[in-house]
Amino acid sequence: MMPTLSSHMRAAGVALVGLMCGAPLVVTAPHAQAPSQAIALAIPDAKARQAVEREIARAVSRGLPSAPLVAKAMEGITKQAAPDRIRSAVAAQAQRLEQARGLLGPTPSEAELVSGAEALAAGIPTAMLKQVRAAWPAQSVVMPLDVLTELVARGVPPKQALERVVTLMRRGATPVQIAGLGAAVQADVAAGLAPDAALEVRARGVMSLLPSPAAAAALAPSGRRP
Amino acid sequence: MIDERDAVIETVRGRLRASVADQADPRAVARILSAAFAAPAPSRWRRWLDAWHLPVMSRVGAAVVAVIALAAGFVARGVLPNRAPVDPMAVTGEFPIPVTPASDPRAGAVATQFVFEAPAAQAVALVGDFNRWVPTAAPLVRLPSGVWTVTVPLMPGRHVYAFLVDGARLEADPRAATVVDADYGRPSSVVMVPGR
Repeated sequence: MMPTLSSHMRAAGVALVGLMCGAPLVVTAPHAQAPSQAIALAIPDAKARQAVEREIARAVSRGLPSAPLVAKAMEGITKQAAPDRIRSAVAAQAQRLEQARGLLGPTPSEAELVSGAEALAAGIPTAMLKQVRAAWPAQSVVMPLDVLTELVARGVPPKQALERVVTLMRRGATPVQIAGLGAAVQADVAAGLAPDAALEVRARGVMSLLPSPAAAAALAPSGRRP
Repeated sequence: MIDERDAVIETVRGRLRASVADQADPRAVARILSAAFAAPAPSRWRRWLDAWHLPVMSRVGAAVVAVIALAAGFVARGVLPNRAPVDPMAVTGEFPIPVTPASDPRAGAVATQFVFEAPAAQAVALVGDFNRWVPTAAPLVRLPSGVWTVTVPLMPGRHVYAFLVDGARLEADPRAATVVDADYGRPSSVVMVPGR
């Protein structure tokens, strides 16, 4: 049977729509795949490369984001680590991300997962992540977690760091004020001040800018996380 | 272009003439007329397509066009420069920093300058968690004094980074706090970006 004109037109239409959708994807693909390609280029040994890629794929199949894992692999490549060490680091990062997801639930953002994983890598106990989330259930806890990690990395005892950060959160401090605390303590410690003393001084400074506890409770944030 | 329906009508007319002349069979006439009128009327979509006078193409032709265009896409992929990102990791070496549009997820980013002294170095790159440790993302610019610098927009928070010297040697920032990386055991630097 001869194809009718409308079937020709339909075929042409389908082909054109396919082209319009497909061609741009083909052209833009290199940027999207850049880190993966970098992994492929940097680990020439196929077995080692596949082991790293398998770790990432396994984590993604568990619902974890791939970007932090690719970044961890790239970090190892840039630091000229052995392929097996890169694979171990990616696996460890995946484990921390999964742990953070459980602690910061129910629906933590990718940025929160990354900050949670960094906090765990810095040696902050798991219970502390839960306390941070409990203080701000509806707001992003990226900044409090980052500052907590930095305070501990500068030598502040984890318990003291958590107390100060959570107090600021409950008193209505903004993420910018909390970040300012972390930056100030970092500078003070670099200048020679004892870490715990630096935290006490700087926390007091931020606290003086905040409303009283009663007012802070009334103004407690109720919005959604960004 | 002759409309398909016109062509059908012409065929029917021709057959009708032949039928009437040769046999004058009323049943044959009725059959032909029924067949002609049973043909579906063109849809609105079809009429719209006809109005554009698009070239007629067979399925094979359409597939060939699709294959050629996809091949062109693959060629372009290899030939065209990577359009992404110079801008996000803007290599200015100086203030001011590029302005990110409000729709950009990095709209809250803060211009952060990095400085590294290495008069003998041939190339210095900034690598860190903010650029996924990709060495080509943020090369530093060498000033006449031998100081290298770059300014990049960073999201508020804590960032770990290092300088890659001459594509091989990784060095921590002597101006910043350091942290020993648990996974790879190499010292890196930390910057706290306070936000706006």
